[in-house]
Amino acid sequence: MRKPWTRNLKSSCLTGSLLIAGILPFQAHAALGEPEASVATDVQQFQASVKSTLHASYRVHEIQLPSGTLLREFAVPGGNVFAVAWKGPAVPNLRQALGQYFDVYVGAAKLKRGGRTHIEVHQDDLIVQSGGHMRAFSGRAYLAQAIPAGTSTAELH
Amino acid sequence: MRTMIRSLSALSMIAGASLVACGGGDSSSSSTTSVTPTGSNVLSVVVDSGPSSNSFNTLYTTVTICVPGSTTECQTIDNVQVDTMSYGLRILGSVLTLALPVAHATDGNSLAECTTFADGFSWGPVASADIQLSGESASAVPIQVIGASNFAAVPAACSATGPTEEDTVATFGANGILGIGVFEQDCGSGCASNANSGFYYSCTATACAQIAVPLTSQVLNPVPLFATDNNGTLIDLPSVASPGAATLTGSLIFGIDTQTNNASGTQTVLTVDPNSGDFTIVFGGQTLTDSFIDSGSNGIFFNDSNLTQCSSSDYSGFYCPAASQSFSATLTGVNAVSATESFTVDNAQTVATNDPTFTVLTGLAGTFTSDLETFDWGLPFYYGRRVATAIELHSTAVGTGPYIAF
Repeated sequence: MRKPWTRNLKSSCLTGSLLIAGILPFQAHAALGEPEASVATDVQQFQASVKSTLHASYRVHEIQLPSGTLLREFAVPGGNVFAVAWKGPAVPNLRQALGQYFDVYVGAAKLKRGGRTHIEVHQDDLIVQSGGHMRAFSGRAYLAQAIPAGTSTAELH
Repeated sequence: MRTMIRSLSALSMIAGASLVACGGGDSSSSSTTSVTPTGSNVLSVVVDSGPSSNSFNTLYTTVTICVPGSTTECQTIDNVQVDTMSYGLRILGSVLTLALPVAHATDGNSLAECTTFADGFSWGPVASADIQLSGESASAVPIQVIGASNFAAVPAACSATGPTEEDTVATFGANGILGIGVFEQDCGSGCASNANSGFYYSCTATACAQIAVPLTSQVLNPVPLFATDNNGTLIDLPSVASPGAATLTGSLIFGIDTQTNNASGTQTVLTVDPNSGDFTIVFGGQTLTDSFIDSGSNGIFFNDSNLTQCSSSDYSGFYCPAASQSFSATLTGVNAVSATESFTVDNAQTVATNDPTFTVLTGLAGTFTSDLETFDWGLPFYYGRRVATAIELHSTAVGTGPYIAF
């Protein structure tokens, strides 16, 4: 219902990194739960291109991965990344995208399985939902407490 | 109960890898009588408890592979899962007794693959094998050997797709998987043009790096490589009385409209997305654009917040309504052809505990995150039907693949 004001920053991998790194202090770690600046690290690590769009209460960094998969990272402007979502032919490098939460995901996933085409993990604040099959995967991970007020989880995809 | 749940949740759970058991699947009897197709294009398939007697709704067959060019160095491998939502043959290294030649990447090193599933990844080299399925054969086919010993370790970029490594029979849930879906290659043009697809690696004995792989060197669906009966498949399973049966035997028929036993007839043809293989299912007011029919899923997976989920952690992720509930869903192909099909959701825990001999559960259903826009209609869809899977770019009497028909 909210029509967000959007600003598109379409750029190559290198300039995309510079743009974001130029605005915000550089961080060496990956995205989920990290400052928005860490998106630049992901873009660099993934050798990807990025397009950033500002919505009412968050900014979406759309990272086009070489595999063809689109990785979207949701951040509070100037704050932290609170969600990542992916869709495309390959599962992205989730260790990079989930950062410190990757090990939590792996640990929790061992205990709870939802079939080969679907997995859902709820571990404290972390929710990871991953689905799909060969050539078509989608999923997302978010920190429930960090979602900005007024933002629905339905927007996080 | 621990193994019970893991069987339900993870397709099947096989305790303890064993060396290959040659010579066909378990004997079984179906609960209904039907005309069994015969012919050199018919491979027997079975839903049973699997190699360690704890699988549900898992369709197995037996494949024969040979060292390329040899008629004596061959191995028959049973408990290979039949999967319409993957592409290519994969065998667990622990059951393989043949010495198959490892394929070369374009740089001359060994070619390996990181195969991802939503719930984990499988790693191993690509090898070349002759494949024999009933009377159909294909020569020097690239297959994957999952969890091969004496091979480079899982690359960090592969394990980083998480969460679980599935490189043993126990973690993979079968001795192998036969991917016979709508596509010819497991990756396609993305992997041919791009080194960083996340699928293929060039490996020395100790290190691996991602590499592009030409289409014909990728792990290939064997069906289009057959000399005849190569435009698709039919899975033909008898009907099962609700809520289940001990076992079920049926047929995997190669070719569509190529023999008297594989005619399309009046089937409903739904074309699927040429990139993903998906189509749209409308269910309970949700329009789920990334939906699929999958012989490799052991239940019907969809989101319905009104359906009671099982309270026992042993059945986590499955539905356990107090009484069985009936639903219908509308399937719409890319070609705008629609069909409305009904299904029943049973209490997974009650059915599985009331008759522990059941491996066929007609009403086994579980959750699928709503925002992923998916309805995954697994093996229960196939009970009592003939479901056709037409391969991309191949024609039948009723259309051109990729399509599914039933």
